[in-house]
Amino acid sequence: MSYQEKRTLASIFSGILILAAYCIYAFNPTRLAALTPDDLKPWASTMLIFIGIGIVATIVIQIVFHILLSISLAVQTKIRNMESDDKEIERSIQLEMVEDERDRQIELKSQRIGFAIAGIGFVAGLLSLVFNYSPVVMLNILYLSFSAGSILEGFGQLYFYRRGA
Amino acid sequence: MVKKFEISNNIRKLRFFANEMTQQDLAEKVGVSRQTIIAIEAGKYSPTLELAFRIADVFGVGIGEVFQCELKGE
Repeated sequence: MSYQEKRTLASIFSGILILAAYCIYAFNPTRLAALTPDDLKPWASTMLIFIGIGIVATIVIQIVFHILLSISLAVQTKIRNMESDDKEIERSIQLEMVEDERDRQIELKSQRIGFAIAGIGFVAGLLSLVFNYSPVVMLNILYLSFSAGSILEGFGQLYFYRRGA
Repeated sequence: MVKKFEISNNIRKLRFFANEMTQQDLAEKVGVSRQTIIAIEAGKYSPTLELAFRIADVFGVGIGEVFQCELKGE
């Protein structure tokens, strides 16, 4: 598995983790019972908090991933050649983490998947209002479709890395 | 209707004749990852014109000797 695929898996993992955490917290029956159906403020603040948590968690997971990957590459280089020095180890890490035109093309293609899911979510949110559902439902549809879009974007990336861009 | 082209390449053969150059060596010389070279060789990715020229330059041949295209559906 290439560096790009591993990095994509790390971002999918963080996306799923944050989405699961939001669902567990936001749709907790005790919390729902305490809320009035049309009070948007608690939902908006919860979403804002989870967006913040999401950004921080993604950064932390990516940092941890890069540290672990660098350690594993350093160990692999040492196992291959016990006399390899720091420069050689650094070079092997840099070679593994190269980003090029194919990565950018795959990123653009998979972003289209993310935008499509977010767009469908936006339309679904508007439809929920048309069909007299609470604005809370619309807000949640929007939030969940954006989150799902970002996760599916990652799966799209994995697909393009495996099957060709 | 636009005709469909299928692009093939001789990179594997050219690497063999370039003293069995490894995919990693070629990747370093043209500034891409080894996975990109693997994808190009397998026909899973068509490089940009710039990268195609850089690959041809590494082997010291014309771009037409590295990449060929065949008209499909005729």
